[in-house]
Amino acid sequence: MRVKFYNIVITLLLLQGITAQVLVKGVISDEMGIPLPGASIVEQGTVNGVSSDFDGNYYIEVPQGSTLEFSFVGYGNQTFLVNESTGLDVTLFPDNELEEVVVVAFGKQTKETIVGSVAVISSESLNNQSATTITQAIQGSIPGINIINPGGIPGTNPTIRIRGIGSINAEASPLIIVDGAPFNGNLNSIAQEQVASISVLKDASSTSLYGSRGANGVIIISTKSGTKSTETSISLSSSYGNSSMATSMHKLLDINSYTRYFWEGYRNRELYENNNSPEVAASLASDNLVSSLGYNPFGVDQPVNNQGRLVASPEWNTDWKKVIINENAYKKQHGLSVAGGGEKTSFYFGSNYLKEEGQVKTTYFERIATRLKVDTQVKNFIKTGLNISYTSSKQNAPNQSGLAYSNAIQWIYSLPNYYPLYRRNNNGELVSQNGQDLILDYGGNKIQTINGVRPAFSGENAYGAIINNEILNHNNYISLNGYLKFEFLKKLSFNSQFAYENATADNFRFDNNQFGAAATVDGRVSQSRNFFKTLNAIQTLNYKNTIGIHTVKADAIFESYEFEENFFNARGTGFLPNIKVLNGSTSPESVGGSINKERLLSVVGRINYNYNRKYVFEASFRRDGSSKFSRDTRWGTFFSAGGSWVLSNENFIKNIDWINRLKLKVSYGELGNNRGIGFFPYLQVFDTGFNQLSKPGVLSLQFVDPNLSWEKTALTNIGVEFSFFENKINGSIEYYNKESIDLIYDQPLALSTGNESVKTNVGAVKNSGLEFSFKSNILSQDYFELNLGLNFSLDKNQITELTQDEFIDGNKKWQVGKSLFEFYMPKSAGVDFIDGYQMWYKDVVTDQGLRTGEQIKTKEYSEATRYYTGKSSIPAAVGGFSINSLYKNFDLSALFNFSFGSYVYDSVYANLMNGFETAASQGHPDLEKRWRKPGDITDIPLFMNGQNDFNSESTRFLFKNDYIRLRGLNIGYNFNQDWIYKLNLKKLRIFFQGDNIFTYQSHKGIDPEQALSGQTDNRSHQMKTYALGVNIQL
Amino acid sequence: MKKSFIKFSFYVAMILFSCEKDYLEEPKPSGTVNSDVIFQSKESAEAMISGILRLSRISYEKVDSGGLYSIFFARVVKGNDLILGNGWYLFDYENDNREPTYRRTTFTWEFPFTIINQINIFIDGVNTSKYLLDSEKQPLLGQAYALRAFYYFQLAMEFQNTFSFDPSLPAPPIYREPANEGKAMSSLTELYNFILEDLNYAVQFTPETRFNKSYVNRSVAFAISAKVHQVMGNWQEAASMANSAKQQYELNATQYRQGFDDMTDSEWIWAMPQQIDQSNYFDIAPHSFTDINGDGYGLAYWNRDFVDLFSDTDVRNTFNNQFEGEDETLYNTWTSSKFKFDFASDIPIIRSVEMQLIEAEAKARIGEETEAANLLFELQKNRDINATPSGNIGESLIEEILIERRKELYGEIGVEWYDAKRLRLGISRTGNHRIKSAADLQPDDKKFYLKIPQKEIDANDNIDMGINSNR
Repeated sequence: MRVKFYNIVITLLLLQGITAQVLVKGVISDEMGIPLPGASIVEQGTVNGVSSDFDGNYYIEVPQGSTLEFSFVGYGNQTFLVNESTGLDVTLFPDNELEEVVVVAFGKQTKETIVGSVAVISSESLNNQSATTITQAIQGSIPGINIINPGGIPGTNPTIRIRGIGSINAEASPLIIVDGAPFNGNLNSIAQEQVASISVLKDASSTSLYGSRGANGVIIISTKSGTKSTETSISLSSSYGNSSMATSMHKLLDINSYTRYFWEGYRNRELYENNNSPEVAASLASDNLVSSLGYNPFGVDQPVNNQGRLVASPEWNTDWKKVIINENAYKKQHGLSVAGGGEKTSFYFGSNYLKEEGQVKTTYFERIATRLKVDTQVKNFIKTGLNISYTSSKQNAPNQSGLAYSNAIQWIYSLPNYYPLYRRNNNGELVSQNGQDLILDYGGNKIQTINGVRPAFSGENAYGAIINNEILNHNNYISLNGYLKFEFLKKLSFNSQFAYENATADNFRFDNNQFGAAATVDGRVSQSRNFFKTLNAIQTLNYKNTIGIHTVKADAIFESYEFEENFFNARGTGFLPNIKVLNGSTSPESVGGSINKERLLSVVGRINYNYNRKYVFEASFRRDGSSKFSRDTRWGTFFSAGGSWVLSNENFIKNIDWINRLKLKVSYGELGNNRGIGFFPYLQVFDTGFNQLSKPGVLSLQFVDPNLSWEKTALTNIGVEFSFFENKINGSIEYYNKESIDLIYDQPLALSTGNESVKTNVGAVKNSGLEFSFKSNILSQDYFELNLGLNFSLDKNQITELTQDEFIDGNKKWQVGKSLFEFYMPKSAGVDFIDGYQMWYKDVVTDQGLRTGEQIKTKEYSEATRYYTGKSSIPAAVGGFSINSLYKNFDLSALFNFSFGSYVYDSVYANLMNGFETAASQGHPDLEKRWRKPGDITDIPLFMNGQNDFNSESTRFLFKNDYIRLRGLNIGYNFNQDWIYKLNLKKLRIFFQGDNIFTYQSHKGIDPEQALSGQTDNRSHQMKTYALGVNIQL
Repeated sequence: MKKSFIKFSFYVAMILFSCEKDYLEEPKPSGTVNSDVIFQSKESAEAMISGILRLSRISYEKVDSGGLYSIFFARVVKGNDLILGNGWYLFDYENDNREPTYRRTTFTWEFPFTIINQINIFIDGVNTSKYLLDSEKQPLLGQAYALRAFYYFQLAMEFQNTFSFDPSLPAPPIYREPANEGKAMSSLTELYNFILEDLNYAVQFTPETRFNKSYVNRSVAFAISAKVHQVMGNWQEAASMANSAKQQYELNATQYRQGFDDMTDSEWIWAMPQQIDQSNYFDIAPHSFTDINGDGYGLAYWNRDFVDLFSDTDVRNTFNNQFEGEDETLYNTWTSSKFKFDFASDIPIIRSVEMQLIEAEAKARIGEETEAANLLFELQKNRDINATPSGNIGESLIEEILIERRKELYGEIGVEWYDAKRLRLGISRTGNHRIKSAADLQPDDKKFYLKIPQKEIDANDNIDMGINSNR
């Protein structure tokens, strides 16, 4: 097939042929109509050329069908195709500004000709920015992007959403393109210092070329290249920093309060639930305290007397947070890059090393990222290049979110200081091994009646899990990205690009053979490997021509894409001490593996027409065939159209001094989404592996909707770009409307059908918003420069169509007109001052089932009515604020990002407020204000050791989650040139870098960046880092 | 020039469409099969039966909601004979775990319905298969109907008062075929009729032979029928079904010294098997919870009043005072060695002893007291060489049989809860219980059944939002 392709290209070349001579003459003038003397007129691709005379006249003879290029210093070039003898008057326009060239889908465009919404972080701002990762660079720099880093494990992929959340169960994250090819690796595997620019494509006209993958926006990352004919330069950078939690965790009870409070919870149950007299209830609580809690740090039979007072002091008081949290983590980064170029060849080489520790002890991320890029001009019409990158990373990530016993954060929030770190005997004395080594207490020592078995998390010790177990992720990523470009003519070029990715993700898990859950089987090793490779081939034909004031650009693209995933896992038990490889397993537990493949085939067309640099029109089309859909629904057609009007090139605006640039733009397009729905979502199949002893077993998988169809997104974008007062203020304002139609959703089914949900098209959701971006050059003097930037977006999410009236999923209820993210839950009605019980509101309903509109309070949680809260988990406004300043040899840059108007349901806090419902469950100091006796007015119900709903889901634990974070602060000092010249250096700079060093948050105790759903999950926090570093250029 | 450009694009399109077919067709799913393959032969259809049986012991959300055994163990801890320490199943032990949003409620509803859906897919696939012969279809369907009846029987027991209380009360919805739309509640009468309909087929067509004791054979179908009739009070049928079920499953007292973890034991009719690579690890009940010396949770102890029921020579007296007789008031005094915990422990579902006692009870209730007493004594003698016939008649005989059921089935199926519910008795906590009268159950107590899960009400248009009022 490829051979055929080149044949066609060669045929095209021959079509040019040899033709007759024609005569062209005319006048060259500027935009005001004044003749331009000395302008040059050249037949493209030849030495045939003339100059205009004093009156701007010219005269030239050229072969028919050739192209004439008109140029004049300070003015933009123009080219015209000539087919017959003719008079041709040409108007040239001044190059009043160096037009910024922006990387867009399948190519580059000048900023002026873009009709869509493309936000760019240029290499200049990347260099000035204080960001240390790509995510940081984007977060807060570009309006309309919501980035969340859930949890504090360094090296974890962030959640990125462009312009609201357009998809729920299919993929909602943007497509990432690196140097022209789709990128499937971890975003953290790219070193920020090797990146030249980042473009974020937000609207349909800019993303429609990616068709079925473009609906959620596209992030295009271009890596650095060398420059031809420049001296080779070497840059070195190095920084070292110290990290600790960026925000504080929830406060916790001390051991004495915990013990007394638990007594009170026990007493209350005997008193109020079991109707004992106060005296009996109190003495029962004193009697049973130790047996309920299983441990006794106080050394006396009844640590709390029947008055509720402590009568002894504890022999231990375990500060689990201190045991588990790394308060003194470090982060170090070293980078080296070499770039340069000869007459025909340029190159760039970069290598970067990073090691970063996390909040929980032993957590770290270590990465080496290397990239080599070579471009060369083979012939004057052939250019080729190769870009190789290799990243290797290693991460140790002990559990620090979710509900596993060993989750270190959950442990801190669950286990009271009452329980010891090291094993104690019946009398509370430390037990040692061989008379010296202390033994970690796993709370599962059933032989011992006291201090033996913990009522919660028995058989585990989170600190033990951290130090004795390993959860290692090794990732290797290689990409080879090469191209061959033929420029047959200045007008027509053909580019063939091949990108190959090959990655290995190895997850290794060792559960210790002596301690913890796997000790009974002498340890367990679980290892899984996921090999994936992608092959992407893109053939592009570009055509560009300018005839007078008309410029036409057209692209035809043919793309094929293959993704193959090859998964393998094995698990075994029975290990000797210190052996952690599967070979050492005496008893294999399981093996598994699968291979899956996805393919995509596409044809793409784009045309861009520019009239006199005033009106730009662009249309594009893409047809995608995806192996993820059945043959009947496989092909999808996507398109977009857009236009812009550069008002500042109109005469009536040109005369207004303070307007330097003004552009209006509008675009509309329809895109699809085929990502995140599995490999074959349309097939109703039976899954193997449910074996019963030696007999193979199969089960029917989730109920499949055979009519499942493409999720489509229609995007509208209207915007204005401006630059005023000698470019001192510039920016843009854009309005977007993004409607996802035939939204794919796991719709909950009645549990009695035996299916939890069905993946189906449930309706439509609309995201709309306004995005603002302002940059201002406040001061620009010789010694002092100050630039400020502000950007933010106001976003709204609304369900516009549903296939049924409404449905409820967890704490959200979907209804037309409501947001997908509005919390729906019982409303807390406070605490009854008479008996201290929690109350909720309940609708009064008539016998006919009609609501009277009246609300009464109830103590039965199951009767409480659930209400829309008017509070959403996605923010009303997100954005950022930046400062860049230079003063003499100092430079400063700061980047803040903020989020306002979102709410978080803090289930972690709810759990800390459970009021001693179960034994061995940590509490929050806020519990001090609980109800204690009839008449107490408080929001906190009485303590109750017994199943209750006091802390069940309600508005009681729904909190506003606004925050502002100083994501990066960088202060540098550049040494004087004359001084460093003596050291043979081109540049020497020392700097301070601070990451996340300041956070304001409305709800404390959590990291403000939680999940989009607004649920906390015992996640670790992000780190704040203070680092010092140096940049050297040789 | 422009013409050639158009021509070129045309060529590109031509090439594209000519190779599309192969390029996009090649990727095929691996690791899954479609329904044609499953219902093509008896052997492959049996693979789905295996899958369904495996599903009955797969780990779900949490330790206390992990399969059929966790429904049974939740019943066990509601009684008076077992005392639970602080840990999993705590709120079941407190008889306070029935609200619509609780894990117990959701799990006990969702789990049987998940299995029923798979059974319905199986029945549908077998019925519509072009490949299977009728003689092959009947044994397959027999197994499926027996399983469906068994799981509907669990739902009937868990989500309403007992049948004899008021058969017109609402009961869980009936699904005869796979569905994606929720159905309305049925009534207890409708539900029990449906169960009996399935069982009638099952006792006729389920094969005698099977791969191992985790599969359903005709004995299992008889045994399920015996239990259903016992609950409904159809004593004649209960007696005959129980008698048919227990044939070929001889009593064997020695297993009380072997840990109750091997389904090849002659008494076992139906079981959940495990092996090291098909284990639910620490979650299995009762073994993980009652084996104090094992590696499991080990937090279940025994009421001293219950321990007192056993003579020293009774092989079922597996109890040990872990404080060596010092203090009998502590809740954690008495431990039992009946169940031995291991990752490969098998779990009993039905044993022939239960059938023998159903038969004895049924005979006693229909006036065949001598036969009843003989059946009872046959068992007692097998368990205790010094046993002597009690000579009880009438209510005392029935009372003795019920006590024998507790002594025989402790830890296994929640026999106390089961009997108290079906006979409309209460349960009073006595002895050295940790949680005493606060957890008592009155006769026909609402605490004998669970509310309807909120998730079901939310997603099922045919169940009223107010279903749980007065439940």
